[in-house]
Amino acid sequence: MLPLLLGPSVVLIAVFVIAPAIYGVYLSLTNTQLTGFAARDPQFVGLDNYRNLLSSDEFLASLGHTGQFVFFSAIIGQTVLGMAAALLLRRTWLRGKGLFGAAILLPMVVPEVVASLTWASVLSPREDGTFNRLIGLFGGAAAAPLQESPMLSIIIVNIWRGIAFAMIMFQAALEDIPDELIEASRVDGAGAVQVFRYVTLPLIRGPVFLYLLLTTITTVGVFGLVYFLTQGGPGSATQLTSIYIFQHAFQYSQIGLGSAASVILLVILMVFGLTYVRLAKVDV
Amino acid sequence: MTSVRAIQRGMQYVLLIMLALFCLVPFAWVALSAVDAHAGPTVGAPAFTMGNFVDFFTEADTPRLLANSLIISVSATALNLACGILGAYALSRFRFRGRKFFMFSILLIRVIPPPATIVALYLMMVKMQLDNSYLGLILVEAAAALPITLWLLKGTIDAIPFELEEAAWMDGSTRLGAIHKVILPLVGPGLGAAAMLTFMAVWGDFLTPLVLLQDPDLYPLSIGLFRAFTAFNQVDWGVLAASAMVYMVPPAILYGFLRRHLLRSSLGGALKG
Repeated sequence: MLPLLLGPSVVLIAVFVIAPAIYGVYLSLTNTQLTGFAARDPQFVGLDNYRNLLSSDEFLASLGHTGQFVFFSAIIGQTVLGMAAALLLRRTWLRGKGLFGAAILLPMVVPEVVASLTWASVLSPREDGTFNRLIGLFGGAAAAPLQESPMLSIIIVNIWRGIAFAMIMFQAALEDIPDELIEASRVDGAGAVQVFRYVTLPLIRGPVFLYLLLTTITTVGVFGLVYFLTQGGPGSATQLTSIYIFQHAFQYSQIGLGSAASVILLVILMVFGLTYVRLAKVDV
Repeated sequence: MTSVRAIQRGMQYVLLIMLALFCLVPFAWVALSAVDAHAGPTVGAPAFTMGNFVDFFTEADTPRLLANSLIISVSATALNLACGILGAYALSRFRFRGRKFFMFSILLIRVIPPPATIVALYLMMVKMQLDNSYLGLILVEAAAALPITLWLLKGTIDAIPFELEEAAWMDGSTRLGAIHKVILPLVGPGLGAAAMLTFMAVWGDFLTPLVLLQDPDLYPLSIGLFRAFTAFNQVDWGVLAASAMVYMVPPAILYGFLRRHLLRSSLGGALKG
């Protein structure tokens, strides 16, 4: 009975999720190519790919880009704005909660291709692009954000996309704080900032930490949102590791090298992941 | 109310309004250009028309994109749910060795970023001759969303009293019969949430179809929009915007239904990505 019930799930996950991860480790030790001679007859090359990667400025730069991208967009931007949204939407006197909530949710709900498409028009280098019109209102000169400050641009786009996720996670955490606790500290004369710093924040430290791990993990995996807008460029200014892997494997046909880069990324993420699973404290 | 308080409240409204504008303004181009007869790559006052939508549904290749997206998403969701409900039932009702290990392992799968396995997955699919086909993509997408479906449905089934099933057995039902009669009707909300999450994940996926599909006849909307956007010299902006509208409507509506189910943290985590 058990194999019949659980079997299909185990087979699907084993073949299409686990096997590629393991096969990727094997590929990373070979010089497999998509086309050409090495495609027919791949050789075992040991740790050559790893050696090449770790001495490649381009790869190390891509790790740096991913680090910057995660830190500024997910850890700083989404967290701060998501927390602000969650706190503001808890105000009992606030009108239009549903509308504000829906507006903040929309960027997360739409497919990532639509998200990129909307920002392509905002960041258009043309003078009538939305961004250029806005800075025009303040007397600024027209700019081409994706060319002039590409990293900042994609960071802002990703903040925009992720505020809602942070907000949802923080709203759930805030619900567990008894209102009396906040009121009591208010009565004792604490200001809003003090209440947040000394009462609210310590009480939701756990969920916040979980959120930071989770958003780190998902932000490292961001591909389409950025690839659609910049394809890693200009030059390699926005070449995240995910884009590095895609380009080297599928455009330069270096499957072995791309797989080694994937393994390095996976190992880094596993550390975060194991921490997440341990801290999530979910019951089985 | 003191005036200081009124000012404080006013400032909080201003903050929220700015945040909401930041979230909404980028959509101006899609919304306006979709109904603009002379749409360009940037925002402008539209010369109102529904022609772009008419074009979308009547042009040679665009309805195909929508059909492909539907075929892939619906099939993958159905497969995902069929496997998921049986597997979740086993995880909820049977006590076997390795059950905990399995549950935590599939939770850990959530950590694997898709770009990190896509290279090996592509090569495997080529070797199994499953690349460039509906079937291959459907299997991959169904599998990718299975960990979340299993977790979600296991939680739902845990909440259904086992006595109900035992009663059905007493009445002569087989185990599968009892699942059909007792579990399926009661698992509704969880199943609905899992269905929507899976559908939205498959519907929105960009990387997997980009890598696995080469035949333009198989492209879903995500890839079709990307190709149309990057065909620089011949972009029909109006139709592109209309396509984007058509593409974003199903997940936006589904999310409206789904919101109530996503209160708790571990489920909320299922949503992103």
